[in-house]
Amino acid sequence: MAEVLTQRDAGPSTPARVAPKSRPGKLSRYQTRWAWFFVSPWLIGFLLFTLIPIVATLGFSFTNYSPVTPEATRFIGVQNYVRMTTDPKVATSLLVTVRYAVLAIPITLGFGLLLAAMVNAKSLKGQSFFRTMFYMPSMIPVVAAGLIWAGVMNTQTGWLNLGLEAIGLPAPDWLNSTFWIYPALVLIGLWGTGNLMLTLLAGMQGVPNELYEAASIDGAGAWVKFRHVTLPMISPVLFYNLTLMIIGAFKYFDMAYVLKNGTGGPADATLFYNLNLYKNAFEYNLMGYASALAWVLFLIVFALAVVLFGTSGRWVYYAGDGKK
Amino acid sequence: MSRRVLTLFSALVVLALLFSACGGGGAPAAEQPAEATEPPAESAAEAAATPEQVSLGGDCSGVKVRWYIGLGAGGNPEEIEKEKAFVEKFNSAYGDQYCLVMDIVQNATAYDVLKTQIASGDMPDIVGPVGIRGLASFEGAWLDLAPYIEASGYDLSDFNPELIKFYQLGANGEQIGLPFAVYPSALWYNKELFDEAGLAYPPHTWGSDYEGEPWTFDKLAEIAKILTVDENGNDATSPDFNPDKIVQFGYDPQWTDARGQATFFGAGSFVDADGNAVMPDVWRKAFQWNYDAIWKEHFRPNANYVNSDLLAQGNTFGSGRVAMTPIHTWYTCCAEGVKWDVAAIPSYEGKITAKLHADTFGILKGSKNPDAAWGVLSLMLGEFAPDLIDVYGAFPARASLQEASIARLQEKFPDVDWQVFVDALSYPDIPNHESGMPNFLKAQDAIASFGALYTSTPDLDMNAEMDKLVTTLQGIFDEVK
Amino acid sequence: MTTTASTQPKLAAAPRPAATMRQHNLMERILVSGLAVVILLIFLMPLGYMFTTGLKSDAQMSDPDAPVWWPFSQEMFTYNGETYPVYKVPTDAGVQRLAAVKKTRVATTFIDPANPAAGEIVWEGNWRTLEPAYFPDAQWHNFVTAWEQLNFPLLFRNTLIIAITGTLGAVISSVFVAYGFARFNFTGKNALFMILIGTIILPVQATLIPTYIVFARIGWTNTFLPLIVPHFFANAYNVFLLRQYFMQIPRELDEAAMIDGANPLQILLRIIVPNSVPALAAVSLFHFFFAWNDFFSPLIYLVSRPELWPLSVGLQKFNALYGREPNMIQAGALITLILPVAVFFLAQRVFMQGIVFSGVEK
Repeated sequence: MAEVLTQRDAGPSTPARVAPKSRPGKLSRYQTRWAWFFVSPWLIGFLLFTLIPIVATLGFSFTNYSPVTPEATRFIGVQNYVRMTTDPKVATSLLVTVRYAVLAIPITLGFGLLLAAMVNAKSLKGQSFFRTMFYMPSMIPVVAAGLIWAGVMNTQTGWLNLGLEAIGLPAPDWLNSTFWIYPALVLIGLWGTGNLMLTLLAGMQGVPNELYEAASIDGAGAWVKFRHVTLPMISPVLFYNLTLMIIGAFKYFDMAYVLKNGTGGPADATLFYNLNLYKNAFEYNLMGYASALAWVLFLIVFALAVVLFGTSGRWVYYAGDGKK
Repeated sequence: MSRRVLTLFSALVVLALLFSACGGGGAPAAEQPAEATEPPAESAAEAAATPEQVSLGGDCSGVKVRWYIGLGAGGNPEEIEKEKAFVEKFNSAYGDQYCLVMDIVQNATAYDVLKTQIASGDMPDIVGPVGIRGLASFEGAWLDLAPYIEASGYDLSDFNPELIKFYQLGANGEQIGLPFAVYPSALWYNKELFDEAGLAYPPHTWGSDYEGEPWTFDKLAEIAKILTVDENGNDATSPDFNPDKIVQFGYDPQWTDARGQATFFGAGSFVDADGNAVMPDVWRKAFQWNYDAIWKEHFRPNANYVNSDLLAQGNTFGSGRVAMTPIHTWYTCCAEGVKWDVAAIPSYEGKITAKLHADTFGILKGSKNPDAAWGVLSLMLGEFAPDLIDVYGAFPARASLQEASIARLQEKFPDVDWQVFVDALSYPDIPNHESGMPNFLKAQDAIASFGALYTSTPDLDMNAEMDKLVTTLQGIFDEVK
Repeated sequence: MTTTASTQPKLAAAPRPAATMRQHNLMERILVSGLAVVILLIFLMPLGYMFTTGLKSDAQMSDPDAPVWWPFSQEMFTYNGETYPVYKVPTDAGVQRLAAVKKTRVATTFIDPANPAAGEIVWEGNWRTLEPAYFPDAQWHNFVTAWEQLNFPLLFRNTLIIAITGTLGAVISSVFVAYGFARFNFTGKNALFMILIGTIILPVQATLIPTYIVFARIGWTNTFLPLIVPHFFANAYNVFLLRQYFMQIPRELDEAAMIDGANPLQILLRIIVPNSVPALAAVSLFHFFFAWNDFFSPLIYLVSRPELWPLSVGLQKFNALYGREPNMIQAGALITLILPVAVFFLAQRVFMQGIVFSGVEK
């Protein structure tokens, strides 16, 4: 699709582009001035509220900082970072996190696409109702949602297993099995996938109708339209979601904490990286060590994000991109 | 297009106004910041729409002392009401000298909130009621009370000296708390379930027999099996019994961790004299007994049953579907609707152990007014101790108050044999089941994982798992050697 | 008339006959609707459990015999001042509804509620094999109790103040920043954008204490300020999403406006904003719902000021250590859910098929 659309460059807007090109320096200054004007709200907020805590966390990571005895803090060099290499929980928690991410991200992304395409389809009667119902679970506070799922997935009285038993399917011990806990968490994630659905829906709304009309005239079916019109056109939103899901997977915490009372059980199967970090920070009072864990997390995820942004040029298509 | 946005925003604004109007004439958004910079004590009480929302009690002009509640008891709705009344009473008596204000945070987040406050330097003065685990979680943050006790000539003669020593828990034996309340444990039983099974109630006299036979944990197991019933009415002694569809259980050591569960069989510790990890012999047997109770004999619910709606998502005895639980006096909170009484804890290998909970109040080192905090605390544990004890349904640590306070409990729960709890005080667990360990918080976590493992996993080699726990604990202890 | 940003895609396939098309559409409709209903049913299961739990009493929650999908209570019969449960007992005269006066494992003594004077009837067998006589008995008053225990009007007011002001701030500021990143070229733009993304990587568990210290030092604790003001300075989640969307809007629209003499601010307001309604709505809804449910920040900043608490913090009351009330938690959660669901239902209408990029009047 990219080639198709960029051909429009020869269109009616050409004169507008000609004029600035003749005075590049001035344009660039003009552009820069406006750019900083628009970006400034974030920059000011970053300097005021975000930067200090980030730098402080970096500082803590070189100390033995404990939240209950802050007066006893002293500099201990890179000891916290060295300690990570011998702490078996670090490797365990990284593995748990990666295992979950690899399972959850593709399934969730696929399911989100399905939901969005469904509630965007003209052929669906009662769109408003379905959209609301599919979005509703993500509005439920996580503590209540955790209780609901702990109840629903209980092997004795849970509706899920009662239903599975009723139709003759095996009823697994979702929350106490080191195997089933991952499908359980993914399933719970799918239930709360409203934001993904909504962003993809917004993306699909941004696809100009004419593209579909043109495709229809050419006799394209639903799948061809989805594959060759919708997908490329929503690739910026897909990219956004993929990036946030990777960041989110490494920070995964709430549901695992609520469902298993923060124990990380069964047998450390829900000891996510961030849960281990939390336990060190707030249960063991090892905030310095937790800060080091946080910064290693930062480096891993930031590297992933940079790689992802690097590849984005190849598969993310921006209709309004300056690149010609 | 922009009309739609406008519609959306105006809908939101209308809703906002609607609810603001319902909010009882409170300040609109713009005024909030201004209001918030006022000294909080008086303005907050005015701003609160109902008494329910007041945390800052009474009119007072004295030194502000902040009291933080949430590390242990104190978060139940009926306790909150009593705590508010207590603060009001305190301030009406001493409001010219002190101004007691309280913050109540539910236990699930109370630790994180307090740690954040301490880290920021903006912290409460008095914290409690708090047990041993709570004290340990804030190790190093507590004020040594000894100098204050000495300077004020505080009279300690009303306390058992052992209880005073119990709170010398600082790194160098500092007195970080004073005895406030004790909560003895006993065996709670559901009278209706015993009646239905045609069984005699367990003995109320400690050390006596049950139906002519010694009241031991083996005997308890025997009757617990009869009290465990599946959906078809078969009990756990029946060959037709279906362990997957149990609707009533005989025994569950509710709301206590692995150390607590084992301690009813005998007091012990995971730490030996040299500071190394060890599994006491009696605990090894106790864990095996509990494991078998869950997975072989089925009279104790496994984790899935415990968390099910059937057993009230953890409040198992309170669901009315568990016949016996060994638990403390504070459980009066949560057994409403059950016709219960209490009996003696059975003996194991000839010994009886009724584990003891004890609560105290501490003062934080970072308190801005430690003198005022001590002033308030000494009144809370002195002149106001009877009122405070009644808030928590506890046994007072002060000898002189015990009789009157037990009489009040007897009056409140007339069908319960309170003498059983009084007698329980003769069988305390020494060392206490919450007592200190090196690297306490991590060790505690490993023990919790062990508890979760054997209550949720069938087909375990318990001996191997117990050995593994000792190895894990040794590693945790070694970290701080 | 509007200018449109499209050309014909290069798709080559023969147009289908109209009849096949119609058949095809019907098939598609059945397929899509069928799938939607199936997914809906799966989605409804936990919601149904939530709703039913909110309507149950403690005793109903732990009743193993009653149907699970709705609250049921056993019929009770009062006799000589005591109440006894009613069972469906098979007798010689067919199945009778009798009240159990005394239950034991081998025999149960009943009386007939229709004829108590007839005296006691002894039935041999285990009472647990009998079917209890149930009637639907939803505890609607749970909602009233939750409402009364929590002072909902005040909690709603606080939540709305935080959520609405925060949403306004977050959306407006993010639109500006996203526009800056989407439409302008300046040195260091990519690096700056990666820093922006970087700000959401560090977990809140690590930055919580230093952030709290910052707000405590400037005296903002115990006010709404830490929950509102930072959102007026944009955040990566919103900026990133809006930037993606803005970059999808054809530049030709900007350029046409530029020819008409519009400056970038005017272009933002006249071209970009009207053409991004779905994304703006999404971002507004996200922030609104985020603020609605945000729990730990309001708790920690407002802990000493219960009169400023939002719903999420107030609801904690039902989650006491030794007195957790699952039915009240769900009843309370359902009450708090009503407004967001209504807002969503109204707002989702902006996601209507067929955006036509518009802006320049011809």
